[in-house]
Amino acid sequence: MAEYTAKKLAQMLVTVLGVVTLVFFTLRLIPGDAASAMAGDTLSGEALQVLREQMGLDEPLLTQYLGFLRNLAVVDLGETITTRIPIAELLLRALPITLSIALATIVVSVALSIPLGTLAAYMAHKGRNWLDNGLTGAAMIIDLMPSFWTALVLLLVFSLGLGWFPASGQLNWSDPWALVLRLALPVIVLSLSQVATLARITRTAVLEVLNEDYVRTARSLGWSELRVLFRHALKNAALPIATVVGLSFGNLLGGTVIVEFIFTIPGVGNLLIAGINSRDYQLVQTLIVLYALLFVVINFATDLIYKTLDPRVQF
Amino acid sequence: MNYQAPVKTTLLEVRDLRTEFHTASGTVTAVDGVSFAIERGERVAVVGESGSGKSAMAMSILRLLTHPGKVAGGEVLLDGRDITKLSEGQLNAIRGRLVGTVFQDPMSSLDPVMRISKQMIEPIMRNLRLNREQARAEAIKWLGKVGIPEPERRIEAYPFEMSGGMRQRVMIAMALSCRPQLVIADEPTTALDVTIQAQIVEVLKNLTAEAGAAMMFITHDLGLVARFAHKVAVMYAGRIVEFGRVEDIFANPSHPYTQSLLGTIPSTSMLKSDRLPQIPGLPPDMRYPIVGCAFKERCAAAHDRCLREAPRLTDRGIDHRAACWSQHGLEHGATLKVERPERTNKPFEPDGSVVVELNALWKQFETSRKMVVKAVNGVNLRVHKGETLGIVGESGCGKSTVARLLLGLEKPTSGDIFISGRAQMVFQDPASSFNPKMTIGDIVAEPLVVRAQGNKAERLEAVRRLISQVGLDPAFAERYPHQLSGGQRQRVAVARALALNPSVVVADEPTSALDVSVRAQIINLLVDLKQELGISFVFISHDLLTVRYISDRIAVMYLGEVVEYGAAEEVFADPRHPYTKALIDAVPVPDPAIESRRTTTPLQGELPSPLNLPKGCAFASRCPMATDRCRAEKPSLPNHDLSRQVACHYAH
Repeated sequence: MAEYTAKKLAQMLVTVLGVVTLVFFTLRLIPGDAASAMAGDTLSGEALQVLREQMGLDEPLLTQYLGFLRNLAVVDLGETITTRIPIAELLLRALPITLSIALATIVVSVALSIPLGTLAAYMAHKGRNWLDNGLTGAAMIIDLMPSFWTALVLLLVFSLGLGWFPASGQLNWSDPWALVLRLALPVIVLSLSQVATLARITRTAVLEVLNEDYVRTARSLGWSELRVLFRHALKNAALPIATVVGLSFGNLLGGTVIVEFIFTIPGVGNLLIAGINSRDYQLVQTLIVLYALLFVVINFATDLIYKTLDPRVQF
Repeated sequence: MNYQAPVKTTLLEVRDLRTEFHTASGTVTAVDGVSFAIERGERVAVVGESGSGKSAMAMSILRLLTHPGKVAGGEVLLDGRDITKLSEGQLNAIRGRLVGTVFQDPMSSLDPVMRISKQMIEPIMRNLRLNREQARAEAIKWLGKVGIPEPERRIEAYPFEMSGGMRQRVMIAMALSCRPQLVIADEPTTALDVTIQAQIVEVLKNLTAEAGAAMMFITHDLGLVARFAHKVAVMYAGRIVEFGRVEDIFANPSHPYTQSLLGTIPSTSMLKSDRLPQIPGLPPDMRYPIVGCAFKERCAAAHDRCLREAPRLTDRGIDHRAACWSQHGLEHGATLKVERPERTNKPFEPDGSVVVELNALWKQFETSRKMVVKAVNGVNLRVHKGETLGIVGESGCGKSTVARLLLGLEKPTSGDIFISGRAQMVFQDPASSFNPKMTIGDIVAEPLVVRAQGNKAERLEAVRRLISQVGLDPAFAERYPHQLSGGQRQRVAVARALALNPSVVVADEPTSALDVSVRAQIINLLVDLKQELGISFVFISHDLLTVRYISDRIAVMYLGEVVEYGAAEEVFADPRHPYTKALIDAVPVPDPAIESRRTTTPLQGELPSPLNLPKGCAFASRCPMATDRCRAEKPSLPNHDLSRQVACHYAH
């Protein structure tokens, strides 16, 4: 176990380092830099150069890269290049919001999709396919709708049209109900595609397990259908489901950027967009590292969950 | 008056049972009006080929069929109560409690993420109304009874930590632990080695007899039937075509199908020159209604009435019924068509030249945990031109590794392989060795394409020749693998192996996925090819009767070593190594008279791990006559050139 964890941690470190390096250099390939973005058309060549020196952009790339790594190693996130605000401070405000959206989405989608997929699988197993067909059809339609489009439609109908949910405004942690209303639409948008994926995976996994010999064994022992379904079928089907839940977290992180932008929520996604627009290398790099870290940590957690679910997997 | 109620002895009575599968391509009547009865404590074997409806019938009794299967009619009386009328809840009180079930594949029949304790204890608590502690003691007791060593410890194991034989013991313990009155065993030993099969059969037989439980035993192995059953039901195309006491069925079979089945088994008295009788054709397609007798197309005795009217079961003797219009089935003497293809050239005469030679062959694999699996340990073997070498042994003995080394699919750790000419392979499961998107013609031509032999027209010509050589119509070249039956696919696999004119064909369990009636067809084909083309075969199988019939010489392998080698007849008639003796002993003979006289003491234990081999004789841990010398000193095979070799200190 300890050996496994150490190996896994080393792998995670390599992954994050790879992402950091890739992001650092590709960012520099984009035409223009923070200085020119900030200055716009107003500054002359010389003044722009002065601004560059102030921002530390005149140093050789390698020096900038090593400096960035050194600061990361001691968890010094630095300041934004353009506005000189400590990034740690920005994150402290933005990260809880984004994590709340992501967690709420996972809870909602798991709570909906697993019962739905299990029921569809069970009915298909018994030869009644309507729920199964309905689910597959609905999932296909949802997959066809890009989430930015769904987000805009929901915003138009429920916020601007019916006025049920606020479309903008401050996030107030002290007023939970207002917070729920404010985050409801983004969570719904993200959950839609998650439910579509997870319900289908659950359906396939459970249906497959229901045809396994050990399910027949359980029935031959006189166990009720409910017990067969929960104790044997769902427990075994949980293995592929857990894997997919873990993997879909990556999609979810990408999704938060879009919904935060559309619903003007001051989360990490909006920070990222602002950073890209102002070519704030420091901010963008730091955020990407954060995303990469979140991703590998979730994957590691999935691995651990998988291993507790399946005794056949050895550490 | 002294009135005594008649003792009611019938436990299960099935009346006119019909089971249908509603599929997209039509309704298949898998079980078509089956009626029979099982008395208390009686063992009834149900035999038939795949698709004959034997499993569907057994599963219908407890309504364990899954969609699209459905019981469409009939009655199942258990202790006089019709259980087809029961609700699911009422039926659950019978499943596991009154009727225990053992399934075919022990590898998949236990829940992989649950400990044995959990899977066993809770049914016992529920069915016998015991508390957890008592149920646990009961479970451990049964695990001990079925022969699991250290049951107190093993009960906490997960299924994946056990071998197939051990898992099947667990299944039997589970099925028997709630004291059922009837045990339904659906091919319980098919997935196991002969030696393990013999152990499992003994366990099932003894424990059900001890508990007074009746048993319905589904199998396609007529040898097992002879060893095991009181009565036999023979099924064909969804119906019972013959039912009777085991002695009567074997001594006086009266349905042509039963007669043919018994004829297709290579018998011990059979001469090498005899061709194996084979049943022509295939079982009917059950999606279409069958007019007349279902067996008519394959029956030598079929006449007009058989084409129009399906026969019903009629009495042929005491407790003996058969469904055939003629009283004695096939006429005596003309039992089976023995088809012989026309010979174009003279049969090949072996000249003693060596085609394959393996010298001091070793193969070791390294596991992910840096342990060394010693798969093949110093094997010396020769195959002569135009001869068949049979390799037998339990799974894990290294026989398949030898095959892979011979074909160059693996590199030996040390030793030499000499092959004069080319070696080709025929696999156990042809379906999975074919690309489903390729036509049969493309599949057969593939080796020629790979070797860039001939142009397109020449290859087409070669394909037609090869396909007819294996007894198929050349028109099959246009078809796809899924359109062929298992036997036809295996013929195609043979054709593909022949494409490059190999000097030796390695066949790894080529008949074990096939039904009995089709098996004989493939064996005859291989024998014909050997004689006509002078090809040598290496025939790997656990089916000892078939190996005996087809092989000129036999090598018996144990833990990566050859322990006995010699002419097939000699080895079988006079086995000298204790392991060979045990193997031959374990094979059930399809003759109840012989089986009832035999006192079988099955080989104990299982194959030791090839990770740490014993210092002395590899077989010492299971050998009934092992001494200190065996455990200390390794016996070796004598001179390579001897025609008979035995690796045992005490063999003469």
